[in-house]
Amino acid sequence: MGTDKIKVIVSKVGLDGHDRGAKVVASLLKERGMEVVYLGMYQTPEGIIKAAVDEDADVIGLSYLSGEHLVYTPKIVDEMKRYGLDDVLLIVGGSFPPEDIEVMKRMGVDEVFRGGSLTSSIITYITENVR
Amino acid sequence: MSHEPVSKPTTDRSGEMNWDHYLKSYYEKPQSGRTWSGYELKEIYTPQDRVAENYTSDVGDAGEFPFTRGIHRNMFRGRFWTRREVVGIGSPADTHERAAFCFEHGGTGLNTIADVTYEMGLDPDHPWAWQEVGLTGVNISSMKDMEILVGDIPLDKVSWSLITASTAAAPTMAQYVAVAEQKGYDIAGLRGSVQNDPIHFRYCGFRPACPLDLSIKLGCDVMEFCTRNMPKWYYTTVNMYDLREQGITAPQEVGFGFGIAMCYIDELIRRGLAIDEFAPRFTFYVSCHVDFFEEIAKIRAARRMWARLMKEKYGARDPRSMQFRFAVHTAGCSLIPQQPLNNIVRIAYQAMSAVLGGVQSLHCCSYDEPMCLPTEKGHLQALRIQQILAYETGVTNVADPLGGSYFIESLTDKIEAEAREVMHEVETLGGMEEAINSEWLDRRFETEAVKRQKEVDNGEKLVVGVNIFTSEPETVTPLGVQRISEQSAQKQIQDVIELKRTRDQGRLHEAIKRLRDDASQGGNTIPAMIRATKAHATTAELLGTVREVYGYQYDPMGIIESPFK
Repeated sequence: MGTDKIKVIVSKVGLDGHDRGAKVVASLLKERGMEVVYLGMYQTPEGIIKAAVDEDADVIGLSYLSGEHLVYTPKIVDEMKRYGLDDVLLIVGGSFPPEDIEVMKRMGVDEVFRGGSLTSSIITYITENVR
Repeated sequence: MSHEPVSKPTTDRSGEMNWDHYLKSYYEKPQSGRTWSGYELKEIYTPQDRVAENYTSDVGDAGEFPFTRGIHRNMFRGRFWTRREVVGIGSPADTHERAAFCFEHGGTGLNTIADVTYEMGLDPDHPWAWQEVGLTGVNISSMKDMEILVGDIPLDKVSWSLITASTAAAPTMAQYVAVAEQKGYDIAGLRGSVQNDPIHFRYCGFRPACPLDLSIKLGCDVMEFCTRNMPKWYYTTVNMYDLREQGITAPQEVGFGFGIAMCYIDELIRRGLAIDEFAPRFTFYVSCHVDFFEEIAKIRAARRMWARLMKEKYGARDPRSMQFRFAVHTAGCSLIPQQPLNNIVRIAYQAMSAVLGGVQSLHCCSYDEPMCLPTEKGHLQALRIQQILAYETGVTNVADPLGGSYFIESLTDKIEAEAREVMHEVETLGGMEEAINSEWLDRRFETEAVKRQKEVDNGEKLVVGVNIFTSEPETVTPLGVQRISEQSAQKQIQDVIELKRTRDQGRLHEAIKRLRDDASQGGNTIPAMIRATKAHATTAELLGTVREVYGYQYDPMGIIESPFK
């Protein structure tokens, strides 16, 4: 699948305002030819999933920094199931303990990129795994 | 440019040693002579680089204008810097306990930080707040919470730094003063600081709580109140650190930070305060990033620029008004989760640059910063970095030990010139308020952040463990993970619901009416906030009341209506 067809939702969830990472990833994915819908801050799980449905997105990228990843990720996964978004990749980025990577994957997250990840690793993952 | 560091390990997993690779590594040299902010440096600096220098007017001794070399003649011989680790976790009781722990282990100042819900001005029972209470700091919604946070700490002896940056800094001051007065302290004797820099905080995700006019209004209410009533209190810490964490360069940090500081200063002067009345209590929060000499030069440049700005632009005469006082936060964004223990080394270098730069108060990040809030062991380790610096390394012996270095003096000049350019650019746009309102500054931060990521992506900037000397990332956090107690959050929610149910409604409504009247008449809102706090008004109620007067929704998230209609 060519990168020009991939549509990615990039979003923060809840009150956390650390959006540097989300904005940078959104900008760089766009630069590499993906279509990015940047939802920004203060999003709810329901709002993000609604956007993913409306936009017919291939990928949802969530960015966390304030320890809220274990609060919101299960809610987002539940919403995705409710709307039957089985073919949408769910990617999480940000700052969290390595112990939580497996936890989030068990919840239903497809891949996790922490701070210090190179953009190329994110691009490669998306292009190789988008469904 | 695509850079492949020659020293990147190339041995295969079978253990076959690649000797060609060894030879390349042996002869490898640094790939660039640029600083982190991008200045091309010469191989060596000599007296030729300093021919135009007039030592007395351009540099000066420590303790003398323009204070390039430090604000005190004897610097750390007079007193160490304050060792002040940021603490904020779960409930006020949890935070008090950790703060006490830092004290027991040699911390010399308190530093408590608000969580996202408090900074946004939401009480824990707000639908957006209840899932995030205490995750990143402490939520104080009432005088009772502040009482618990203070506990048995003697407020007249301990220097307390209250990190509430948004417009919620006004309720924070009210809550602190209300508790201090209840405990019988004369507030004129209280020592410490409140961050109170709402303008910068719109760039940290708190825009709904920090509209520009309200940021200046409430920020300056705190500054004015403290100037008139709490002469030992530092009423703002303009946060250049947070700006730097957005990805900007060292001179941009100074230029944009000073631009924001001037918004407050201009308003305080407009209110009739004389510059020398308030400027001696103006402070800054500065980043120390990973380029050692550049950060030291940046601090020296900032000190000289501040002195000249105060004297030349604002006509200050009291030397204390011209002294750039600052705390340092080592650069959280320079730390990585892939090889966490190496963060200790980064933090130590950054802390040393802060001390060589003449810092007044220092927070060292903990090595686990890119993974979770600091664990107790993480806090302790960060304190130990400060103690090794203070007691073992000898860096405290001499004021500005790098002063007079041809290189450091040249780099100081260079950063000052560049920071002046940044300030000039903002002025050309119509000033900082215009740069903020037109979102020019937002775009600038975004452009710079993308540049920084590209520099790491293409190997222009090397980060051990990220794009050089990588290894399989560690899957377990050394020394454990800090988790936030769900019970603590639940208790916070229940407590505020209970408070709202049981307080004296008549007294509360009267106090809120007084706050609304004072705000409507353009008066300083802090005395009425203190009174309302004593009547058990909450953070959200204090802020919401003032927000409505200024034409904003009562609730920054737009859900809750004012209960005082």
